[in-house]
Amino acid sequence: MNRQQFWKTLWLDVRKDYSLYLLLIPGMLIVLLFKYTPMYGIVIAFKDFNIFDGYAASPWVGLKHFEKLFTSPDFLLVFRNTLIISVYKLVFLFPLPIIIALMLHELKQLLFKRVVQTIIYLPHFLSWVIVSGLFIDLLSTNGGLINKLLVSLGMEPIAFFLDTSVFRGLLVTSAGWKEVGWSTIVYLAAFATIDPQLYDAAKIDGAGKWKQLLHITLPGISSTIILMLILRLGSILEAGTEQILVMYNPTVYKVSDVIGTYVYRMGLGNQDYSFTTAVGLFESVIAFVLVITGNALSRKYLQRGIW
Amino acid sequence: MKRKVGLTLLALLLSLSMFGCSSDGSSSSGKGKNSGLRMLMPYSRFDPNKDFMASYIQEKTGVQVNYEMLPAENFDEKLNLLVANKEPIDIMKLSSGQFYQLASSGALEPLDELIDEHGDYIKSAIKDSTWGSATIDGKIYAIPEAGSGASAGEALVVRQDWMDELGLEAPKNPEELYTVLKTIKEKKQIVPLTGAKDSIYGDIASAFGIVNDWEDQNGKLVHKAEHPRMKEFLSYMNRLYEEGLIDQEMPINTAAKAIEKFTSGKAAMYKLAWWNSTNTVNSLKQNFPDAKLSVIPYLQDADGKASVGINTGITWFIAIPKASKHKEEAMKLLNAKLAPDVFKGLAIGDEGVHHELKDGKYYPILPKFNEDLTNGSSYMTGTDEHKYPEYWQARVRKEPILQSYFEAFQKEAEGHLVIDPMSLAPPIDAVNKNKLKLMKLLDDNVLKFITGAEPVANYDQVLEQWYAEGGKDMVKQANDWYTNR
Amino acid sequence: MDTRLKQEQASIRKTPARKRSSSRDKGSLGERLFQIFNICFFIGMGLTTLIPFVNLIAKSFSSEAAVVSGSVNLFPIGFQIGTYRYVLQDILFIQSFRTSVIVTVLGTLLGLLFTTLTAYPLSKLRLRGRKWFLLYFIFTMLFSGGLIPTYLLMQELKLVNSIGVLFLPGMVNIFYLLLIKNYFEGLPESLEESAKIDGAGHLRILVSIVLPLSLPVLATIGLFFAVQYWNDYFAAMIYISNPEIKPLQLFLKEMLVASSNDFLKDRVDAALNTTPQSIQAASILLATLPILLVYPFLQKYFVKGVLIGSVKG
Repeated sequence: MNRQQFWKTLWLDVRKDYSLYLLLIPGMLIVLLFKYTPMYGIVIAFKDFNIFDGYAASPWVGLKHFEKLFTSPDFLLVFRNTLIISVYKLVFLFPLPIIIALMLHELKQLLFKRVVQTIIYLPHFLSWVIVSGLFIDLLSTNGGLINKLLVSLGMEPIAFFLDTSVFRGLLVTSAGWKEVGWSTIVYLAAFATIDPQLYDAAKIDGAGKWKQLLHITLPGISSTIILMLILRLGSILEAGTEQILVMYNPTVYKVSDVIGTYVYRMGLGNQDYSFTTAVGLFESVIAFVLVITGNALSRKYLQRGIW
Repeated sequence: MKRKVGLTLLALLLSLSMFGCSSDGSSSSGKGKNSGLRMLMPYSRFDPNKDFMASYIQEKTGVQVNYEMLPAENFDEKLNLLVANKEPIDIMKLSSGQFYQLASSGALEPLDELIDEHGDYIKSAIKDSTWGSATIDGKIYAIPEAGSGASAGEALVVRQDWMDELGLEAPKNPEELYTVLKTIKEKKQIVPLTGAKDSIYGDIASAFGIVNDWEDQNGKLVHKAEHPRMKEFLSYMNRLYEEGLIDQEMPINTAAKAIEKFTSGKAAMYKLAWWNSTNTVNSLKQNFPDAKLSVIPYLQDADGKASVGINTGITWFIAIPKASKHKEEAMKLLNAKLAPDVFKGLAIGDEGVHHELKDGKYYPILPKFNEDLTNGSSYMTGTDEHKYPEYWQARVRKEPILQSYFEAFQKEAEGHLVIDPMSLAPPIDAVNKNKLKLMKLLDDNVLKFITGAEPVANYDQVLEQWYAEGGKDMVKQANDWYTNR
Repeated sequence: MDTRLKQEQASIRKTPARKRSSSRDKGSLGERLFQIFNICFFIGMGLTTLIPFVNLIAKSFSSEAAVVSGSVNLFPIGFQIGTYRYVLQDILFIQSFRTSVIVTVLGTLLGLLFTTLTAYPLSKLRLRGRKWFLLYFIFTMLFSGGLIPTYLLMQELKLVNSIGVLFLPGMVNIFYLLLIKNYFEGLPESLEESAKIDGAGHLRILVSIVLPLSLPVLATIGLFFAVQYWNDYFAAMIYISNPEIKPLQLFLKEMLVASSNDFLKDRVDAALNTTPQSIQAASILLATLPILLVYPFLQKYFVKGVLIGSVKG
């Protein structure tokens, strides 16, 4: 009986909204073709892949590559570094664009606001190699601006790039400088969905700027914040490999060697597709679990989520 | 209206898929369109099908070739994709790592018979001793392309104007170097010696006997990592670093940064590669018109002996993949390109047009030489080893500063060159698999010891790790070859 | 289209100007102090982000000797414009500029089209199976089959060495899809209800009611697509070997890599032939400038978005 009812309502719903389903079809086909068709490549995580033999002919090896990852002597250190750097970035760099966007929102000089918006997103267009070069110059112990400042204040110069106690901070700061302006754009667009009448009403009620911020602006962009946060959880094991590869050096490996950079160095000179695929799969599974959990928690406590 | 939009979408999708196909037809991947051979070469910054050399080769050999390049980064990745796709490429110019990877995965054609049949010029151009580097299990899998011969690339240079000012003599050994650096630091308040993160060893290491990656000690091959005087070298470097005699930022300096520091007067000494000499000298002159630069003679070890390590190993391997459909034609082309007059043309162009002969030396005719031959070496597929070093030096003579530093370095190095005994080794499994990874492991740790991030006393632990991660196998297999050679 | 709907939309369009001007009041002392702080903060932040570009510009106009010794800061030393003449005459630059423009324009249009089309049904909470459809898409954000099978697929589709490979696979971007869906969910339901009473179908509601109200998000996603396609070099590096259709960022990447020390090891001939740093700086600027100009142009749509609020009233 229940099952029958299920099929019946399903049929009715689908028939009522059939044009919505039709709209979904092109997108689903595109994703099916370009994303799902190559998915079979994941199997090589469980094989010893030989490029010339191909997928079918390469022999199965079970969990060998995962064992290699988990039992490697540096895995714990590398895993820990990944989490620490990623959490730092999450804690400091996730709220920052929101705060900056709110501050931009409060700017009243329209022209100034536009110019500022256009300027602060510039670093997004610089490659990490260039950004790293800029920071090396800025922080140099041999004529760098910051160290000149420190010395003139009577402090010891700091070799930021070579000092294990500040290097993670440097990674977070430079990533923030590069991407924060760009990341505000998502929130700036979200402000546009807020009903301006709400502000007018609040003013009539005598609510100050702070109250308006707490009760109108933030709730107005909360769904965007939640969406971004859940997606950000999915990349928790990506601590910024590209950035770190460019910026780190052996003296700070201890605090900055992450999964991505470790796999890169291990793979030098011999392309081990099976191993890198296994590492990728491990990261994907963690990401998937985190996204699902994040969404469930958000649904439970905030009554909204991606789905 | 709904239907209209739907139809438009459908039409759009269809036209897109057409777009995909049609633009492939006009691409230069060379499939079907023209019947020439396909050659894959490493990246270099020019359009290989529009270069003077492409038409020159076609004119001289009568064979039309479509050239393709690997990308500048991720080149191994792209090469593997082409192999995985069984792309019918006829000639591949591969690095030693790529060559070994493809040969051992079975993607390359053994060439012995083809060379016997069509390779007369090849056989006379390439020395017998060179073939070993392309031979695996008794079969030749590539034509080894030897380079421009044994020459010294780098030497320490110093601001002679400052040396004169301070009344200092060029240091002859590490101890004198220490004193010179210390005096410069005290008197001039600058970093005496700067350098880049990827050139750690060179002169100073040689003075400690660490000359090449490999060394013959009583008939046994010993790797640099196991060198008995490694710790001594590291302690010395660590002393320089701790006392501020080497640039504290050496672990993050790029080569360009080191040049920048030297030419802007922030450092007094650095290891110059002769190919960077024009830039360095010009920038220094611009900033300090009175600056004088001089080359420090190669440092001597305790016995008063100077050594300059070099590796004369093969850099490029010319292979024919199994997937090629024109193997014979490919070999015929490779052979034709090594015919003496054709090869000379490939190396230095035509006499009177691109080069001239003065006092038995080849000089380039500018600007024609640069216009036509700048990218010439990308098209090389094997060299005439007896002639090429002589031809090649024409490239150095196209600019006076370049030429003077190249010649100065060679003069200093004369009689001191020590060739790495592994230069002529065949592909060895454990060496090829581990070489890059272990080099990185060692260099990373050497930097840690020099900067004091790790005490030199821990070197033995690093060596253990180096052995465990493949070093043991590498040394063993290298010696297996060396003793039975 | 029905007249009532038009009137409603027309009234929506009229309201904003009045609203914004009326909200310009002075505020308390604390608020004014905040304004001053705010302005100072952004001046400071703007300077830190602007200076590196000024430095690049100065380098691009300086003599190579000055650049190599690192003495160029905010103003050119040894002024010259030969660098720009050199880059703009480089046939490789011109070809790749053309490719980048084509890829960016087509990629952005197609991306907006298919991503928006897909996002719309997913924004309807009542859609049966919505969760599963969303998971179907999100799964591909987190899992991928890797480069080799993707390459083989592109080969199969005859896309290797064609310009289409640079934008066809990205026609549906899941991250952007979620952002658009999120925005659609925030639109008042009442809007569509009235249209539905008039018997309009979903596609028509999307095109004539939802999209005009979604300019802020469309402008944002359009910008994201444009920047993504303009900046992408990886796809071209893997799939395209024909220099005639390499995009600009690949051109730039190759120039920079080919002058880097890692690349030049063991390649003396290449080391004799590297690109001067001043020309590198000019190339970076010329390759970045066009895309930087897109944003100021799109900014006005962010402001227009303020319209929708008044619909609810």
